[in-house]
Amino acid sequence: MHHVVIENWSRGASLLHARDARVKVILLLAFLVALATTPRLTPAASACYAALAIAGILLGGLPLGSLLLRAAIVLPFTATFAVFSLIAGDAPRAAGLLVKSYLSAAAVLVLVGTTPLAKLLRGLESLGAPRLLTLVVQFLYRYLFVISEQAQHMRLAALCRGSGPRPLRFRAAAGAIAVLFARSHQRAEGIHQAMLARGFSGRTELLSSTRIGLRDLLFLGAGLSLVLALRTSLGVLWNL
Amino acid sequence: MHIPDGLLSTPVWLSLDAACVPAIGYAARRARRELEETRVPLLGVMGAFVFAAQMINFPVGAGTSAHLVGGALLAIALGPAAGVVVMTAILSIQAFVFQDGGVLALGANLLNMAFAGVLAGYLPYRLWGRRRLAFFAGGAFSVLVSASLALSELLLSGVPMPRPVLAITLGLFAVNAAIEGAITAAVLEGIHGLDAGLVRCPEGTVRRTLVGVALVSVLLAAVGVLVASTHPDAIERLAARFGGPTRRLFAGPLADYQARFFASPWLQKTAAGLAGLALIGGVCLLIGRLIARQRSA
Repeated sequence: MHHVVIENWSRGASLLHARDARVKVILLLAFLVALATTPRLTPAASACYAALAIAGILLGGLPLGSLLLRAAIVLPFTATFAVFSLIAGDAPRAAGLLVKSYLSAAAVLVLVGTTPLAKLLRGLESLGAPRLLTLVVQFLYRYLFVISEQAQHMRLAALCRGSGPRPLRFRAAAGAIAVLFARSHQRAEGIHQAMLARGFSGRTELLSSTRIGLRDLLFLGAGLSLVLALRTSLGVLWNL
Repeated sequence: MHIPDGLLSTPVWLSLDAACVPAIGYAARRARRELEETRVPLLGVMGAFVFAAQMINFPVGAGTSAHLVGGALLAIALGPAAGVVVMTAILSIQAFVFQDGGVLALGANLLNMAFAGVLAGYLPYRLWGRRRLAFFAGGAFSVLVSASLALSELLLSGVPMPRPVLAITLGLFAVNAAIEGAITAAVLEGIHGLDAGLVRCPEGTVRRTLVGVALVSVLLAAVGVLVASTHPDAIERLAARFGGPTRRLFAGPLADYQARFFASPWLQKTAAGLAGLALIGGVCLLIGRLIARQRSA
């Protein structure tokens, strides 16, 4: 499953894994904004942005082929609109749509592939995201694995009872979801009780420190100036 | 309906991101007031539940299958503010971990699905109470409003769309809305049958006209923006038909626009669309506040 792979990637060790989450979020946003505000993506400009994304993948020690394949998940949606642009006779725009959405997805994968979600959420929280929201996201991610497994068990059980490989009948599927809802509700009650028993104070704690060090600042400076230099040189040289 | 990065034009994603921050912040504050903070696990587990429920396929004839979207279900079962928070968490995970929807486009996706979608899914329930029709309408309106908003944002961004394709897309929206309505109704009735206490009751006295007006305005706003973005010259045609004062009213400020700020027709279109979207945002906030006041009264 996709999120299990990403989770495994994020536990690796590399130059990018060691950087503070806030630094990586800011760099990702800078890259995305630079890419999004380039009005016409010439092949040269696309190559520059692709080089930056690939540099990120290599710095993070992530598997290049697998990551590039996973980023292609955005292509079907974008391709639909690219085809319309092509029909309207605007081939450069069609190519630009594809390149922008693909490289954006790859860049996001570099961030989540080098940052465990707990650290990422703590970083987003200190950048101003509401704490209720980051907590809910954290619980969602934690129980995503558990509840999905329960859903799989229920599907297996339905198969064993002889419902066949075709999708469940409409009412049966609705009933399965209703049961899943009730069980999830019950589970949440149990989790809440257990957390209170262990002294939950409304905040989860990270074991490692979240200080921005000198290396993080240097990395941020280098990354930002690289993105900025690319964006301005595109603007000056090719009037993009 | 999850818009990836790269499709929306800069003014569109930038303004929607800006609009989404206060909207989601407001919902988060309300949710914290409504549920005690200790019920955070419930919201998280419910988000995981929606993910898992989306794996269960429903047969919808002709060998195809559909799955639950869940905005209306969450709004009805947990209340609108909590529904917005859970949908926000789901969409954020989808954007970051699953590359389903972009990061810069997150604001647009949140406003479409987590904010307008949840609100449109909740209002029929608020209006008609615990009835099958209300559940169905909630699911259907929720999908219809989110999809119309997403499509109009894409059109405003200047993504070309041939007319026949647009017609087919609108037809598909209607079919999807009906399917989501049927699934939402069936699941909520199932939950109600298991344990009636699991579905939250709308609290306080219901002022029907007010909620009705709110529902109609949300629907009109979504569909209206869609129509406006497909026929940008409709207002001018309206002005031409009614003539006289109407013409001066519409033509005056528009002429100024053209002369001074918005030289290109593309920018004009975008500005008009953004004004419309801002209006929807304002209407949604206002409705939320009114409902809140009713609740506390």
